[in-house]
Amino acid sequence: MSFKTTRRALMKDITLGAGASLLGPVLGQLAAHAAGNAKAIRKKIVFVVQGNGMNPNHLVPVGVKRRPDGKNERPNNDTLFELSLKDLELNSALEPLTPFKNKLALLQGLSGRIALSDHSANHGALGCYPANKGAMAQTIDFALGQAVPGIMPHIGLGLMNKPDITMNYNFSASAPGKIVPIQCSPELAFKALFGSIAEGSGKDSFDRKTNLLDFMANDVKKTRSTLATEERIKFDQYLEAFEALRDRQATIATIHDSLKVYAPKLEDRYKNPTKTNRLEAQFEIAAASLITGLSNVITLVSGGGGQHYISYPELGIPVDGHHYGHGGGVEGKNYEECFVTVRKYHTKLIANLAKKLASVKEGDGTMLDNTLIVYLSDSGDSHHPNLYEWPVVLLGNLGGKFKTEGRYLQFPNYNTKNHRTMSNLYLTLLEAVGKPRDKFGIADPGLKDTDQRGIISELLV
Amino acid sequence: MSIFLSLILTSLASGQTLSNDVKLTNAEDSPLKIRAILKSHCNNCHGEKKPAGMARLDNLNFDFSVAADMWFAIKEQIEQELMPPENSRKLSKGDSNLILNWIDKQFLNFMPTKPNQGNLVPHALLFGKEFAPSKMQADRVWRLSPGAYKGLINDITRKKLEGIVQPFTLTPERGIKDFAALYTIDEPSTEILIRNAEMIVESQTAHEFKDGKISGKNDSLRDFVLLMDPKLDVTNAQVQAVLQQQFKLAIGRDANAEEVSDFLKLYEKCAKLGERSAAIKTMLQAVLLRTDALYRSEKGRVEKDAMDRQQLSQLDLARAISLTLGDRKDTALFQAAQKGELTTKARVQIHLERMLDDPKFEKTRILKFFQEFFEYHNATEIFKDKPKDFMHQARTLVDDTDRLVLHILKADRDVFRELLTTQLSFVNTAKKMNKQTRQEEIVRAVIPPTVNENKMPRQIAPSGVESVYGLKEWPTVQPTVLPENTRIGILMQPSWLVAFSTNFDNDPVRRGRWVRERLLGGTVPDLPIGVIAQVSDEKNLVFRDRLKVTREKSCWNCHSKMDELGLPFENFDHFGRFRISETVLDLEATSKNIDKKGMPIGPIHHEVDLNTKGLISFSGEATLNGPVNNPREMIQRLAKSDRVRQVFIRHAFRFFMGRNETLADAKALQDADNAYVKSQGSFKALLVSLLTSDSFLYRNNSNSIPKSVGETK
Repeated sequence: MSFKTTRRALMKDITLGAGASLLGPVLGQLAAHAAGNAKAIRKKIVFVVQGNGMNPNHLVPVGVKRRPDGKNERPNNDTLFELSLKDLELNSALEPLTPFKNKLALLQGLSGRIALSDHSANHGALGCYPANKGAMAQTIDFALGQAVPGIMPHIGLGLMNKPDITMNYNFSASAPGKIVPIQCSPELAFKALFGSIAEGSGKDSFDRKTNLLDFMANDVKKTRSTLATEERIKFDQYLEAFEALRDRQATIATIHDSLKVYAPKLEDRYKNPTKTNRLEAQFEIAAASLITGLSNVITLVSGGGGQHYISYPELGIPVDGHHYGHGGGVEGKNYEECFVTVRKYHTKLIANLAKKLASVKEGDGTMLDNTLIVYLSDSGDSHHPNLYEWPVVLLGNLGGKFKTEGRYLQFPNYNTKNHRTMSNLYLTLLEAVGKPRDKFGIADPGLKDTDQRGIISELLV
Repeated sequence: MSIFLSLILTSLASGQTLSNDVKLTNAEDSPLKIRAILKSHCNNCHGEKKPAGMARLDNLNFDFSVAADMWFAIKEQIEQELMPPENSRKLSKGDSNLILNWIDKQFLNFMPTKPNQGNLVPHALLFGKEFAPSKMQADRVWRLSPGAYKGLINDITRKKLEGIVQPFTLTPERGIKDFAALYTIDEPSTEILIRNAEMIVESQTAHEFKDGKISGKNDSLRDFVLLMDPKLDVTNAQVQAVLQQQFKLAIGRDANAEEVSDFLKLYEKCAKLGERSAAIKTMLQAVLLRTDALYRSEKGRVEKDAMDRQQLSQLDLARAISLTLGDRKDTALFQAAQKGELTTKARVQIHLERMLDDPKFEKTRILKFFQEFFEYHNATEIFKDKPKDFMHQARTLVDDTDRLVLHILKADRDVFRELLTTQLSFVNTAKKMNKQTRQEEIVRAVIPPTVNENKMPRQIAPSGVESVYGLKEWPTVQPTVLPENTRIGILMQPSWLVAFSTNFDNDPVRRGRWVRERLLGGTVPDLPIGVIAQVSDEKNLVFRDRLKVTREKSCWNCHSKMDELGLPFENFDHFGRFRISETVLDLEATSKNIDKKGMPIGPIHHEVDLNTKGLISFSGEATLNGPVNNPREMIQRLAKSDRVRQVFIRHAFRFFMGRNETLADAKALQDADNAYVKSQGSFKALLVSLLTSDSFLYRNNSNSIPKSVGETK
């Protein structure tokens, strides 16, 4: 994939003179940016959610002990403990992120007990509510997507063990009860997002959808006109939805040239749909979606959510995550070595994504400068989590909003006065995109003395 | 004091209204007179300059549909004599009546739209001797409920489809949730609907090729599958045939000529892009996305009857009745509609009685009504720490109560009173198929784990869920009679008590509000903005005493109408266990509970006698008012009340009509109440009456008041 052309240079030709006011928000933003308005650059956020838990020890730099007694167990500090990563070596599980060490914040000690469940917190991981009650409320990824909308507010891409399971319904939600599916087939994701530039059936499919949306908008309009005025309101939103989706198709068609430049070339991976090929394809689709402005918020999931486990024969792990999650080894590796191998593979993908974003100029810097990657597991700290702590890796500073210049942070222990939770982290993200809220998710009833409503000010500039 | 702040935020309407004296026909009401009264009594504080509570009454809009909330607040304040405030000139009885009378009359043409505003419509006028002019509602559309959407999918596919996502949700607000006025379809829902439509059509057209011949897969539709064959030279007639089939499945009727033409155009447009089979699929998806598939349409037929009314069109009526009782189409009813047979109340009644008696027609909405009325199903939303010595399983508690409701409905006798006062209960139950008899039978739902004493000698096995009901053993006869003088009815089911509790404590305020709204028909405003509802954390006090914050003068106006109705339920702990004393922290003993180094070892608790007294006041029925000693006494008294029964009827009306009542619905409500009473408390009789009422069957799209106004008994 080539990233020689900057989006700004490319879009200058397309948008200026075409009447930016007629274009969608992203094109309008790009037009403004091309005209030199750096403030118009939108923030981009990527959630990378990996199943099977994230061992807190994987975040601990080489030579650092978590507790004063030398044990690598949950410490009982009651104040924030912080180290600079500058002179420290990353744990081998995170080693691929070393080139971005000065853009990292490794967060330890945030709890998420409200979402406690075996194997996966499901929507609770990004929603901060109980794990097995479905989509009880909007999840943070969709909330951020609404705050910094691209052509689409949010894109969910993922990997399931079997290629014929194309959707995962256990991560994101736009509202209570409204699940946002994660598209787990790179082929279908590509068709939906980049179908307009595809030749043959992909292009036809895109055009048919446009026809359908167009037809439905007219159909709803026609029925609407048969109703009394006060009842018409009930059809207005439905009509607007079709019109918006149709306009989105039209907008996508407008950035046809940009999509052509950045659309991932995935043919080889379609032909050989191994797990790693599929996951890499999804990361490439994510990168291209961010670069072209299809969306500014993407959730990339790998297994997890509804107890889906991946085996990686290509990495020498032909057994699925549940096997080594329960202490089983394979091909000479013990369970911990399996975990590290898989973690290392994911951090390599994250590093590649960051590298791609860093190669695209944006404003006075690169696209990575305006991005934040949030890496966590939907199962918190373990395959069988207790969620007294939920390790999170932050990469990037979201246009200078986050203090992620190489930090290792151990937040105060659960049930101490200054303890912080995943809700606090998500509130911090909302604050950073200018959409602060009073609370997020459902408060942990076990934390009566903890402020579960505030932001984590230590993370913000 | 900012008087209007309290006018808006702390007002409360009880059932005891001045409207008892109101005569609709003779009321001398005039906006001019009201404006003069407001000017002399209110505008000093609520005038143009620095209006108290940022609310002006000097320029108040008399168009109710524009300023309804303000008029509701005024009504509540005057009824409760909260305004004008102390040390101000009081309103004369005549002036109060004039204003209240005028407000009450507005409910002839105005319907509060939100589910919890229904009680604002004056009870005395709905059940008074004089009927208000009966004006039919106009045509309306009603977005499918989540259950009805699921039913639609089942009607179309007749099988379980993996991957279908629910696009619709209901308000998380308390009470009845599915009102026709509340819901539309937004963009995320539309995206889900499109994906679902794709999946359904994929399933309808699923096929494979064997030896070059196409054949259907997994219950796909034969006619649909045939058109997927690329070798077939598809004719327009074939495309039309599948279009008509899809219309019947999704909408329950044939497409008309204009619709056929429109859909064929879509097909042809898509076919030009290439793959013809894909074009057919797109056309079939479009049918599933139509408004008449996703909204329930309730339109009156063009012809008016002698009373100037329009009966619902036959198909609309068939769908309305089906979706009022269940989530799926009733085939026989649709067939009758297609033959044009649903033309009289008597014929509709025959079908209703058949459906109510037919066990094969799933009447999911009936249980749903009781769940939303009582709200016990919210027990699963209350997260509690796992108790050490007994098992708390909210899901099982809710299932038990569901079974109790169904049990009482099956007997269909004195239903509402039974629901409030029965001494029976299902206890820790689940249903399991007996493989030998092939019958479902009641089994013990949750069995406590046994403890291996060798490994964990100190651990005590927890008691089962039945201990929450006060039973040591799981009763094999279900429902079982609960211990005397402990609990009766739904409001003392553990599920209801948990649903109206917090993570750690009882919630007498919400319990009291429920009784005030659902049994007495009063209204209670939501917590004023800016007030933090914080109960004292003094664990050495019983909860009744910890609630002292609500006794402050500014709070007590409202809280006296709630707390006193909720406090009798202190007879139970927040897990719903009956108790005669309350466990509180013993401060003195705890302070002395230290180790040799003087470090505290842990809290010490002791038992304190319970006070389960309460007070019924402002009930709207003089004989109800007065103190009560415990929750059983309170509920027994309420269960005998005509007013309480009528309030229940009003809630049933709202649920099954999908809207609040207006004064024009008085006859429908009184007929339903009479049918219920005459049938000795049959819920079926109540439903038949409601669903054959003019309010359900008729529409009127003219703005004029019809000829039948002013009907009196």
